[in-house]
Amino acid sequence: MTTTSPQATRKYDLGFARWVYENVDGGDRLALCMQCGTCSGSCPVGTQMDYGPRKLFMMIRAGMKDAVLSSNTLWNCVSCYNCVVRCPRQVPVTYILHDLAVVAVREGYKEAVESDNARFSAAFNFSAERYGRTDERIVTGKFYFSEGLSAGFKKGMDNMKIAWNMVKTKRMPLGLPHKIKGKGELKTILDKAREIEERHKGGGKGN
Amino acid sequence: MTTKMTYYPGCSSEASGAHLDKSLQSIARTLGIELEPIEDWNCCGASVNHIKGGHAPTTAMSARNLAQAKAQGNQDVVTPCAACFLNTHYANEAMREDKQVYEEMNEALGAAGRSYDASLNVRHICEVLINDVGLDKIRESVKKPLKGLKVAGWVGCQTVRPHAATERGGNFDEYDNPRFLDDFIEAAGAEAVDFKARTNCCGGSVAVMSPDKTIHLMRDILQEAQERGVDCIATPCPLCQTNLEMYQGAINDKYGTHFDIPVVFYSQLLAVAFGGDPDGDAALNQNIIKAPKIAQVAK
Repeated sequence: MTTTSPQATRKYDLGFARWVYENVDGGDRLALCMQCGTCSGSCPVGTQMDYGPRKLFMMIRAGMKDAVLSSNTLWNCVSCYNCVVRCPRQVPVTYILHDLAVVAVREGYKEAVESDNARFSAAFNFSAERYGRTDERIVTGKFYFSEGLSAGFKKGMDNMKIAWNMVKTKRMPLGLPHKIKGKGELKTILDKAREIEERHKGGGKGN
Repeated sequence: MTTKMTYYPGCSSEASGAHLDKSLQSIARTLGIELEPIEDWNCCGASVNHIKGGHAPTTAMSARNLAQAKAQGNQDVVTPCAACFLNTHYANEAMREDKQVYEEMNEALGAAGRSYDASLNVRHICEVLINDVGLDKIRESVKKPLKGLKVAGWVGCQTVRPHAATERGGNFDEYDNPRFLDDFIEAAGAEAVDFKARTNCCGGSVAVMSPDKTIHLMRDILQEAQERGVDCIATPCPLCQTNLEMYQGAINDKYGTHFDIPVVFYSQLLAVAFGGDPDGDAALNQNIIKAPKIAQVAK
């Protein structure tokens, strides 16, 4: 996926839609959307989204880039894949929403950067890349404190009972984080993958 | 006869889903499946890593695991975790089908002196139990049927969607009305109630980060289970199990309900039915909400 998508220059601008078709995973099938609404109707949280997937896809076609990338649709998707298996045109809706979420954060949309999902992903990614494993203690800890110290303590206290239950049932280890032996190797691979992703900037189907 | 498979346990196996791993290892021994872990496996990225980590690096995380799996042999890769299956299967299929992805992933792996030829099959363990082991063998292995136990089979999402009805996903069930979990429950000698919420979503990782967005989804699942008078809910997914168990207190606080419904893995039911130890094999001591009726059978 490239890191910059074009801004609309007039009211109906196909530039953004074309960019999505070419650069977002599954975007090539977006042009086949016939606006039937099966995706939005199948979505367990569709009613709490600013726009369901059907409407969001029409907005992409209409060039409404800012509204698309600042919508909460991207931050409500629960990755249940109902829309993917039900779409009569085989548009991989969830995959498209996932990649649009990456674009929204990279392009600095306030709603995206400040979303729980972006902060949670940063905490998750920290553990996954640094240790090679997701340590649930590190992820939740970093996520709780990503809104500031007092918010972090409050969230931590609110969830004390859950944490204690997990410790008691040996589902939250008390020792050092689990880590892989090949941390250096993993970093080398991921750095190269990032470099490859950067190469797509400015055109070509991203991965 | 023992079949050897390459095992990807996933990060939850070391923490919140430890009881899935333990009970699965137990039933695999009974059913003659040898699970050899991918050596030094890493995280798959689950449903959230891509936002910060990016698409290609997230795919590369799975590519490293697959390269190591291949280095250990040609046997199929299996995982019991819905998200691990989804990501690893996705990466494998993307490399098989898309030349650009194949070349780019190999370029990334090559930086560390590794490569992967996209020749393996990545499978969910439930699909293996249905297609390779078969329900007959599962039924024959039962020593202590879970008679009188009423169970709501809750499949959730990613175990079946979007791959259960695809050729590469093993075509083992359908999306809207999957049967496999009820079949496991009944093979164990328990009663599978007609559970309409069987493929309802709990919110997945969104439930972990922003429970307010999906707490009503979990309430609906518990509500139906309660109305059907079940002794427990059984699921194949580690995150489903943890979410539905750990949030029952918060749900009761918010909605004034009194849910106290055990949520177990199908593998815990089978481990008990196979005559295993309730804690040593079925890991029933690792459920927060205890299921004494299941433990009773094991005695």
